[in-house]
Amino acid sequence: MKFTRYIASGLLACSMMLVSNASLAACATDSLPDSLAGPDGFPERALTMIVPYGPAGGSGQVAQAMAQAVTELTGVNINRDHKPGGSGTVGMTAYMALPTDGYSVLEHIDDASSAHALDSSKPNPASDLIPLVISQITFSQIFIRTNEDRYTDWNSFVEWVKAQDGKATIANVSKEGSMERVTMKAISDATGISMQQISFDKGAPRYGALAGGQVDALFEQPGDVRKFLDAGTFKPILTILPEAPSAFPDVPSLSDAGLDFQPLYRFRGFYVHKDAPADRVEWLQWAFQKAYCEQSYQDYNKSKFMHLIESYRDTEGARELITATINQYRDVYKEMGLDVK
Amino acid sequence: MDTLNNFINGTIALFGDPLGILIFLGGVIGGMLFGAIPGVSMLTLAAILLPFTAHLSPEHGIMLFSVIYCTGVYGGAITAILFNIPGAPENAPTAFDGYPMTQKGQAGKAVGAAVTCSAIGGTVSAVIMMIATAPIAGWAISAFGPPEIFALVFFGLAVASSVGAKTFWKGWLSILLGLLIAVVGLDPVGGIERWDFGMPYLLAGIHFIPTILGFFAVSEVFVQVEKKARGAYSAPKVGVDFPSLAELFAQKIAVIRSIFIGFFCGILPGIGATLAAFMGYNEAVRWSKDSKEFGTGKMEGVVSSETANNAATGAAMIPLLALGLPGGALTAMMVAVFQMHDMEPGPLVFLNSADLVWVVFSAMFFANLSILLIGFLETKTIINLLRIPFQFLAPVILLLATVGAYAVRGLPIDIVVMFIAGIVGFFLRRSGYSVAGIVLGLILGKIGEQTFAQAMQMLHFEWSGFLSRPIAITLIIAGVLTLLNSIYSAFFKKSA
Repeated sequence: MKFTRYIASGLLACSMMLVSNASLAACATDSLPDSLAGPDGFPERALTMIVPYGPAGGSGQVAQAMAQAVTELTGVNINRDHKPGGSGTVGMTAYMALPTDGYSVLEHIDDASSAHALDSSKPNPASDLIPLVISQITFSQIFIRTNEDRYTDWNSFVEWVKAQDGKATIANVSKEGSMERVTMKAISDATGISMQQISFDKGAPRYGALAGGQVDALFEQPGDVRKFLDAGTFKPILTILPEAPSAFPDVPSLSDAGLDFQPLYRFRGFYVHKDAPADRVEWLQWAFQKAYCEQSYQDYNKSKFMHLIESYRDTEGARELITATINQYRDVYKEMGLDVK
Repeated sequence: MDTLNNFINGTIALFGDPLGILIFLGGVIGGMLFGAIPGVSMLTLAAILLPFTAHLSPEHGIMLFSVIYCTGVYGGAITAILFNIPGAPENAPTAFDGYPMTQKGQAGKAVGAAVTCSAIGGTVSAVIMMIATAPIAGWAISAFGPPEIFALVFFGLAVASSVGAKTFWKGWLSILLGLLIAVVGLDPVGGIERWDFGMPYLLAGIHFIPTILGFFAVSEVFVQVEKKARGAYSAPKVGVDFPSLAELFAQKIAVIRSIFIGFFCGILPGIGATLAAFMGYNEAVRWSKDSKEFGTGKMEGVVSSETANNAATGAAMIPLLALGLPGGALTAMMVAVFQMHDMEPGPLVFLNSADLVWVVFSAMFFANLSILLIGFLETKTIINLLRIPFQFLAPVILLLATVGAYAVRGLPIDIVVMFIAGIVGFFLRRSGYSVAGIVLGLILGKIGEQTFAQAMQMLHFEWSGFLSRPIAITLIIAGVLTLLNSIYSAFFKKSA
């Protein structure tokens, strides 16, 4: 079976919607009550948020923005405890060892789902944890330098890459089984191009590699390189979405480029341990879901292009997304010949 | 003329109101204090202050972090010199000669030299930053990709092979041990799990800060305890004399060399002050006629390390401001502060936020000058810490080191790593191996492995690809020649 068909089989695509301008007026959790008393005075002290990545990256920033929004809404402080390392494994392990009293929450990204897909002994975010909210869902793009003269758009880029006989380079986070590597394989299969993927685990050297001409292209989410887009240093040449979003109407989407696969998404959310007391979980669900619509959080999401596709999932929506993602990755990994445990 | 006007405007924005002056002084003293406490570094202070900066004006918030950055790098030199405990990794080479100077009763001279040269290195770096941020940033990222950075790491290791070890082989074995420790955890390209022994926490790798605290602070306590037990302990002599002008002037070549090295390392994203300090020190050893005296309390060792690490501070702001590329954890945190105040570092920063950029420049310039003034007063007071009896000082050192090791990532395993490093360091130091070499191998090993893998991917796994990169091949040849020279000196000169 062809690799791209596995990707196309995912439920994920069905649940992704481009957001129209009209739908931006109302926010997803406006219908929730403006306040909710915690059970027996919970929380009586500050919450702790374990963040499995450093403070300056995408996870660190969304953790800061959500913590601020929850505090604005409830007056409850949230201490962020960053435990980076092991592609999120260290933070997850540390969180699972904490008391399940509802005072500790976890921020995590889709890496937790792909890790469980590859090795089922690792926690399943949909069942070993209770998703409070998924607050960011975003797509990826291929970027080139704006002043690049060897190619200027997707079609000329594909032609140029084919002429390089596998020597063209693209910067991404190409760890085994990562969303980036899986997506690049889908692109390669669909177009017949072959590119050398250069793995940079930190954003700054990755962006510097493209800006400095060390690599030919960059795989990234648009919110993370917004300053380079605003400055006109980088430009996207392919949006890895079925249809072009409103902010990038002139950049070819997958269907515009004739690429027949459904994309994988980067998503970030907040969780609590499944054994936490149910009444406390209910209050946390309300706080984190309602905080999603706080103005400060909405402003933050907009600054990162997180408003272009619907970024919000409540607990059930998050479980569906995570489960679909795990199944999707698992199929892809088997097709790639990886050792799925 | 524009530069001068902008600088004056930035200065007025800094000191135009009493609150600005108070925040500036608070940043200077806070950075020095937190920089001086091992493990609890300027990063800790920055993390504590980050939420509060949202309530400050953009000028004050941005100025506060710029000041902490400069003074924090200097602050770590104090404990390195007085107690052999580097406040931060970039102060580790300072301890090589600073601590022996303290043992010889020259703590005042060592701290004085560190103060003066930190201020000079940082100020010169800040001035270059004001004049040429944009063109230097563009050149650095074009000229230095993964192959060049790997070559620089290789050259650094080749040069450093002799630091702190009794013999050539012990030097290299120390570095190789550091390189071996560096591969614990996920491999930086494929994400393959290595040497984790089934312990998830080891997937994050062995962090160099607990290792430094173990090798330097804990092992030093063990060494002193052993001396005490043998009745051979003698309290360090307290010397508060500042170095004379003649002594400082004699360091001019070392200062100039270290400014170049520090600035050069600082402008490369992800390299920064630590490599700058080690390379500054190593080059001083390499060019010195009295290289054997390094490690025994030579002022040039302190000067080279402290000038280089502070010269890297201004330089690190160049890729940060002009390209939006932070070189380390604190500069990454500064991006968050800048963004909090609607200043987006990157190519448009001079267009959109020129006034705030000049606040950064002015703040760093004056912070470096204030190191000189406040550092001089500090020299006369803080050295008296040496008068505290060892039986009271040792538990405090161990407590601070434990807190510092845990504070890095909040992982208990880091405390275990620190004590293991302390015990291993205790025995290695007695047998002529170099704990500095192990630390350098660990720090550079992580950078070197990653950039080597990236370089090989970029060069399509063909070694000959290095030949097409002039800077990379030059550095590799220089490293090989350095290595051959070391081998020649170790064998033939000895037998001759």
